[in-house]
Amino acid sequence: MSTPPAERATVSERLQSAGSLRDLLGMPSGVKLQEFALVGVVLVLILVGAVLEPDSFPTTDNFRAILTQASVVGVIAIGMTFVIATAGIDLSVGSVLAASGIAGGLVVDEGTAAFVLAAMGFGLLLGMVNAGAIAYGRVVPFIATLAMFAIARGLALLMSDKEPISLLTADGVRWFGTGEIATIPVSVVIFLAVAIGGWVLLNRTRYGRYVVAVGGNREAARIAGVPVRRIILSVYCLTGLLAGLAAVLLSARLASASPVSGNLLELDAIGAVVIGGTSLAGGRATIFGTFLGVLVFAIIFNLLTQLNLATEWQQIVKGVIILGAVLIQRPERI
Amino acid sequence: MASPTPVLEVRGLVKEYPGVRALDGVDFDVRPGEVHCLVGPNGAGKSTLIKCVSGAVTPSQGEILIDGEPASVGNPSAALGNGVATIYQELDLVEDLTVAQSVLLGHEPRRFGLLDVDRMRRDTAAILRRLDHEGISPRSYVRDLSPAAQQVVSIARALSRDVRLLIMDEPSAILDDQEIDTMFGLVRRLTADGVGVVYISHRLDEVERIGDRVTVLTDGRTVATGLPASTSVDELVERMVGRKVERLYPERPKAEGEVVLEVRDLRRPPEVKGVSFEVRAGEVVGIGGLVGAGRSELLRAIYGVDARDAGEVIVDGNRVSARRPDRAIAAGLGLAPEDRKSQGLLLDWSQGKNVSLSDLGRFVRGGLLNPRAEREAVREQLRVLHTVPDDPDRMVRELSGGNQQKVVLARWLLRHCRVLLLDEPTRGVDVATKAQLYQVITDLAAAGLGVVVVSSELDELAGLCTRVLVMREGELVAEVEGERATELELLRHAVSGTPAALQNEADHVTEEAR
Repeated sequence: MSTPPAERATVSERLQSAGSLRDLLGMPSGVKLQEFALVGVVLVLILVGAVLEPDSFPTTDNFRAILTQASVVGVIAIGMTFVIATAGIDLSVGSVLAASGIAGGLVVDEGTAAFVLAAMGFGLLLGMVNAGAIAYGRVVPFIATLAMFAIARGLALLMSDKEPISLLTADGVRWFGTGEIATIPVSVVIFLAVAIGGWVLLNRTRYGRYVVAVGGNREAARIAGVPVRRIILSVYCLTGLLAGLAAVLLSARLASASPVSGNLLELDAIGAVVIGGTSLAGGRATIFGTFLGVLVFAIIFNLLTQLNLATEWQQIVKGVIILGAVLIQRPERI
Repeated sequence: MASPTPVLEVRGLVKEYPGVRALDGVDFDVRPGEVHCLVGPNGAGKSTLIKCVSGAVTPSQGEILIDGEPASVGNPSAALGNGVATIYQELDLVEDLTVAQSVLLGHEPRRFGLLDVDRMRRDTAAILRRLDHEGISPRSYVRDLSPAAQQVVSIARALSRDVRLLIMDEPSAILDDQEIDTMFGLVRRLTADGVGVVYISHRLDEVERIGDRVTVLTDGRTVATGLPASTSVDELVERMVGRKVERLYPERPKAEGEVVLEVRDLRRPPEVKGVSFEVRAGEVVGIGGLVGAGRSELLRAIYGVDARDAGEVIVDGNRVSARRPDRAIAAGLGLAPEDRKSQGLLLDWSQGKNVSLSDLGRFVRGGLLNPRAEREAVREQLRVLHTVPDDPDRMVRELSGGNQQKVVLARWLLRHCRVLLLDEPTRGVDVATKAQLYQVITDLAAAGLGVVVVSSELDELAGLCTRVLVMREGELVAEVEGERATELELLRHAVSGTPAALQNEADHVTEEAR
């Protein structure tokens, strides 16, 4: 071993002895440093925004907009954290979101509940197909969800006849996009609830411990009595369900369920999880990191839009950030 | 007599990690053509020392001379260039390569810029012939070879370069007695050519068989260097632990309780062909045999890691499901697998989380885990087993092999299992820690557990167990009462049917006994 990892160990030890925050967040020690760094990145971005656009960036309305923007990717990224914790991946979330939105749109005349149930139910159904192929069919997650990526998009186009479904008259549904609870947008409340729920599930339940164990060492987990197959099944069902929820939030905000929505969403979700510090190799996961990762993307998106930089630039910046984050995380020894 | 320039000379070597001195002034030398054994307890710094020599680690202070010339430290390819080759305990071969590709990896012969495949095969075959292992085809894939043959490939790889110093880290750990003999023959062939060999082993009896000199490393220091290999095992142990080990084995447990595990006609061909036996509460039942006799496979089939074709497993009167370790655990079984790093533990987790993983249910209140209760319960088990350190937050990766094994045992202690299946529980563990593990195993039996121990070290089974079952080619062929069991007797059963091999081994054992 060379000296840098040793120094890093002492730094993280020092952070550990700060103790209470780590306990509060319940994170494995290796993840720590990155989260502190990410909090710093978020603050710096806000500062940069405030300097560059002092009139429009640091306003309550703008922060509300940033969080609303973040909520769709956010709920999916929370689910993606569980999948990646098992050393899996789900590439189908964007397409599943589109198909779920259409499934909801088809029954929106039956009422708000029907819309929500149909969207989330269809997302769950497609997630179950992923789960079955991976857990029982032993298809590699990358391939199984890549197939679903294509299938779900096709279903969305087929079911909608390639036309967006208008939700302009569905006031109940639109509440999810435009309503507020105690001045906080509904979609933001839902995102925060999912994030907190995900944090509790991952860090404070047996299920969460099992999820990370499966990703850390599948064979050792099985021998220790972890029901590996059931855990793997469940995480893909979870991303499907949350993609359905994201479909509700997105189509409610846009007042339209579009078969082409959610394009490249998997990139944003996976990117947020990875820059948050969850290991793509599994065995190490942090919901708090994912939350920060989502915020970083949303703030940058917001800032670039305010600076009138074209979306091409946003894609490039996103890619560079993901690459940079992974380079920082890469293991010391190759 | 003026001794020739040593192949390797290490002077005052120090390696510091933050808070730890892994090496604290090591002096060591290897002459051409000698086998210099390196022994010491786990965590003594043996691995760090060889990593310094092979260039994988940069020492903090001290000198390393190869053939009298100062070596450039912290540079693995320079070390290779100087003729230093290392064969690690965990064989670092790529399973998907062929033998020829593995042997010549990194310096393949080329022709017109392309690989010269024919020459690769010819060169590899020539090296294997030199090692007297023409039986291994250069075209075979590494994955299809036995561990012993894979080791030969590793040695062949070392020889494919101009090797001056060969470092072997516990080469015997994965071999059975016959294979060890063959490997020793190989080593002698190399030393006859003037190659110096550093031989690391936990099996102290091997020092006299293969070594010329021996060095004892403890707490990063050479407490004795260059002793003659004829130094007795007792003396080596004494120097390692700094005191006399009074007794290796505790008093033998007796079988007094009711039957806790019943295995009926268990089959998983080709490794397990109809095995039946019973284990009573309070006894330690050994399962011995040669490597490949089906012992590990038997344990895995009992536990449900691998599916079984036929047969029943009954724990405390309840039948256990065929392919579900979680059901086996619910029924009262616990398994400490053969390879604790890849199958037993999550290396990047803390000891605490590793211990509690199989019994998280008891810490759940209202659907949520109670981390404080978890820590306390785990710490108590770690204390019971004298795990050092008993801090639940310590990463398992940082622990010695003996302590890692204790973490696995603590898991089953916490779970209050009825029957423990231990596969090679003392592999890669030093003598002092072995004695501790034997005490723990005996204590567990005394507490009313049934314990099954699979081991390649027949003397261990003879010393520890209430009774020993001997397995050969997938079947149980003998049962020997612990009091009457000797290494020779067990070996006789394990190899019978091959008279020549038996005679060889028997000679060997009697020779050692003398």
